Amino acid sequence: MTHFLFSPQLTPSSFLRIGQLSNVDLNEDIRELETELPRQHPNEIPHNEKLLSLKYESLDYDNSENQLFLEEERRINHTAFRTVEIKRWVICAMIGILTGLVACFIDIVVENLAGLKYRVVKGNIDKFTEKGGLSFSLLLWATLNASVVMVGSVIVAFIEPVAAGSGIPQIKCYLNGVKIPHVVRLKTLVIKVCGVILSVVGGLAVGKEGPMIHSGAVIAAGISQGRSTSLKRDFKIFEYFRRDTEKRDFVSAGAAAGVSAAFGAPVGGVLFSLEEGASFWNQFLTWRIFFASMISTFTLNSVLSVYHGNAWDLSSPGLINFGRFDNEKMGYTIQEIPIFIFMGVVGGILGALFNALNYWLTMFRIRYIHRPCLQVVEAMLVAAVTATVGFVMIYCSRDCQPIQGSTVAYPLQLFCADGEYNSMATAFFNTPEKSVVNLFHDPPGSYNPMTLGMFTLMYFFLACWTYGLTVSAGVFIPSLLIGAAWGRLFGISLSYLTKGSIWADPGKYALMGAAAQLGGIVRMTLSLTVIMMEATGNVTYGFPIMLVLMTAKIVGDYFVEGLYDMHIQLQSVPFLHWEAPVTSHSLTAREVMSAPVTCLRRIERVGTVVDILSDTSSNHNGFPVVESNPDATQVAGLRGLILRSQLIVLLKHKVFVERANLSLVQRRLKLKDFRDAYPRFPPIQSIHVSQDERECMIDLSEFMNPSPYTVPQEASLPRVFKLFRALGLRHLVVVDNRNEVVGMVTRKDLARYRLGKEGLEELSLAQT
Amino acid sequence: MAPLRCLLQLLPALALALRPAAGEARRPLALEALGEAEALAEELWGAGLPGDLPELEPECRRLLAAFAEGSAALTGCLGRRARPVRLCQACHRHYRHLLAQYGNIARAVGNSSESHNCAKSILTSDRLQIVVTLSEFFNETWEAANCANCLKNSSEGLSNSTVEFLDLFNKSLTCFEHNLQGQTIYLSPNNYTEVCKNCNETYKKLNDLYNNLQRMNRQGGESGHSAHLCIDVEDAMNITRKLWSRTFNCSVPCSDTVPVIAVSSFILFLPIVFYLSSFLHSKQKKRILILPKRIQSNASLVNIQEKYS
Repeated sequence: MTHFLFSPQLTPSSFLRIGQLSNVDLNEDIRELETELPRQHPNEIPHNEKLLSLKYESLDYDNSENQLFLEEERRINHTAFRTVEIKRWVICAMIGILTGLVACFIDIVVENLAGLKYRVVKGNIDKFTEKGGLSFSLLLWATLNASVVMVGSVIVAFIEPVAAGSGIPQIKCYLNGVKIPHVVRLKTLVIKVCGVILSVVGGLAVGKEGPMIHSGAVIAAGISQGRSTSLKRDFKIFEYFRRDTEKRDFVSAGAAAGVSAAFGAPVGGVLFSLEEGASFWNQFLTWRIFFASMISTFTLNSVLSVYHGNAWDLSSPGLINFGRFDNEKMGYTIQEIPIFIFMGVVGGILGALFNALNYWLTMFRIRYIHRPCLQVVEAMLVAAVTATVGFVMIYCSRDCQPIQGSTVAYPLQLFCADGEYNSMATAFFNTPEKSVVNLFHDPPGSYNPMTLGMFTLMYFFLACWTYGLTVSAGVFIPSLLIGAAWGRLFGISLSYLTKGSIWADPGKYALMGAAAQLGGIVRMTLSLTVIMMEATGNVTYGFPIMLVLMTAKIVGDYFVEGLYDMHIQLQSVPFLHWEAPVTSHSLTAREVMSAPVTCLRRIERVGTVVDILSDTSSNHNGFPVVESNPDATQVAGLRGLILRSQLIVLLKHKVFVERANLSLVQRRLKLKDFRDAYPRFPPIQSIHVSQDERECMIDLSEFMNPSPYTVPQEASLPRVFKLFRALGLRHLVVVDNRNEVVGMVTRKDLARYRLGKEGLEELSLAQT
Repeated sequence: MAPLRCLLQLLPALALALRPAAGEARRPLALEALGEAEALAEELWGAGLPGDLPELEPECRRLLAAFAEGSAALTGCLGRRARPVRLCQACHRHYRHLLAQYGNIARAVGNSSESHNCAKSILTSDRLQIVVTLSEFFNETWEAANCANCLKNSSEGLSNSTVEFLDLFNKSLTCFEHNLQGQTIYLSPNNYTEVCKNCNETYKKLNDLYNNLQRMNRQGGESGHSAHLCIDVEDAMNITRKLWSRTFNCSVPCSDTVPVIAVSSFILFLPIVFYLSSFLHSKQKKRILILPKRIQSNASLVNIQEKYS
């Protein structure tokens, strides 16, 4: 009597099923019936976007309200709660400070290493321009890039693959409630920071801003737990926060602090957390997150200003500074707004193109380039090609501009006259951040249209090719750069067409282009508007930026979805969107749920528990606990819900009924024991249970959650979805009218349904 | 041919303009103009205001006149030295002078019996405050030109490095002139090989010195100074560079297009090989589908099994 199988009374005829489905969509129905047949054999299919991976678990946002918990809460008095509150603020301050410091570290190291690299290459090019042999300079540049990127890629591919990419999709998933393995570990942070430094220094078309968000999140998760399992150090502080709910709150603060350090945009950071992660929100949390953001940007600002030699000046609030946009020329008039909207349309189309190309590339990568060494080779090739493309563009360009003071960090003369520099080199021979700022602020006439056009084209493909490599790097800056380049081109041609100097300054158009392109790629709305506004330091730009981002999103969404969502889908993550798919009302919990359910009795034999937990075919995490009736014919009502992690802790401490009788001195299990094991519970294989112990009984009533959320079978999918999304549930038990367990709804059951091109689609589960 | 002739006329003019003392000779002219202006002012004052209400104390009037004179002189100097730019070399005395005069006004206490002093009556008693505006204008111009950079710390005379630079600059100009005159015989306007060959050394030296100056300035100049050198030096270098690489076309870099194309196409070719080979040789990653434990699939499974058996 191991499982409760409910199959006898629950074998609905296929007739019933067809009858229910016929009101969904006829096409859909036929498709499903067709695909039903080949699915029977355990089959292998190539990776595609319509899969859900079994690898991803849900986070337990819902507190297990068992007796232990209630006892502890009762013990904590009013002042203790106040201490907890103060601790939360202290943690937020620490998150802010550390995130700011990490950002400073990245910034300073990148600046120095990149400076060194560019000086070496520039020296070499200058030398060979006179004597001939520029192909050696090209080789030097390409080799330098490739070798730096190789190191960056090796550490990511071999040590911590989850540190690849910008980390925003991963954090988005985490805040959504999906546990991505390793995502908030200290090791990930170290790899991420080193990786991003190396990939920026390696000259890839990447930015260091996106990874800041991930870094902030890891820092937050680490600090709030008061220990590091990677370092095997436990500081014995903040033990109260060792559970998923509290950790999530701090992670959202960390992500906000990361955004704030990256762009100098504290409000934007808060809104980012709100937009991307917040299905659970309260205003105290918002205020705390804002506090962390402010601390983070302030820390970065003060440390960097000391580093730059003008202490107390506080003039560098973020990793990227768009520079000041507040002079007379940069103002806009009402006539320009339609032009901005048009730019938004262009940005949306280009963004959709970027995403579509990246989609095919990523699919190819997942299918064919999955071995770490191949990934490293690919990253090296991209680095070498990036250098080559840059070099060829600079070599072919005849656009020379006079040097003015020291605005250009590494002026390359190449074939220009003495005292002039190659203007293509300001765009390619520089870190992307600096190129963006140059495009915004260089006086009109610094670039000729040909240069900008070629640059946009090349950089577009390079950036698209680079995103998704096994290096840690963000997509914000490349998008901004592409947008700034075509925006500036647009501005120049506009003033050329109108022959007037009314709309003289192309920098303004560069900014709008950057916003449009970024919006078209990542499809963020509110937070991106505020981030751009704060980064430019100009509130009056808020309105046009908002319009541009809106248009870009609408136009882009018409073609494909945003880059981050696309990558989440390609990773087969069971991601829950804001709402259930619109046409899903016809589905009920009965069709959605998994059944039969593996249940446990309130007083269960240890052997049974061990067997269930070690069964590899059903890797369940939550088990409904039912009344332990001796005979199975009677109704076994639902009594509670217990988690795998709790069972493992119970087995580990051998909390068996017999043993309790034997040794009365044995101390009672406390909530602390569960917390100490969090978040890495040992696997069942590591727990030794002897043959005698298998015959013991285990009493779950004290440890199970006696009040799990349940729904009747008739509840519609949107209703179930809403419960899940709003409460952050992991398991939802479906019961019949006798309070008998008939099924279980988990995240994957809900995430399967998605609105595709032809109506409602169903994703299949796969082992990845 | 035409540009060459133009140039030949230009060169002596450039060299002449360098002599710092040239500005002093024109002083009387400026003074004359000033005198006129003063007379006019006197006239107006006499006509407009009753004599028994002295608007300005004599002492202050004297200071004001001195300031007016100084600013006229400086303006004249700046204007005359605008092209080719010789502001700092030629006008630094005028500027220092003017500073002193302004300082006098600002500091000067007029008749002690009166409560107000010159500073108050000249600088702040009307809306326009022309004296302040003028002095601000000169200061700003001086800052923008960054003249402090090529003057000695005490602002007396040019600094050693600047003098050295200007010497070298003169030398190279003379060299250009010299070699060009020799070349006019051949009447081949686009062939300046002679100049390029003969003056290469001087030009290189000049260029290096300039780069050195710039580097030193950038290193030392972090405390407040902008990264520019003073305008005279910058302009001189610009002129020379333009002559050298635009007019004479001397700096012809070796362009080795063939190796560059070869190397770059090799590198660009690598990814294609990589992707093709990984497409052909790498085993495609397969996903194992898992059957969901669901009621309907259960049911259909039963149905299908029945069918097959």
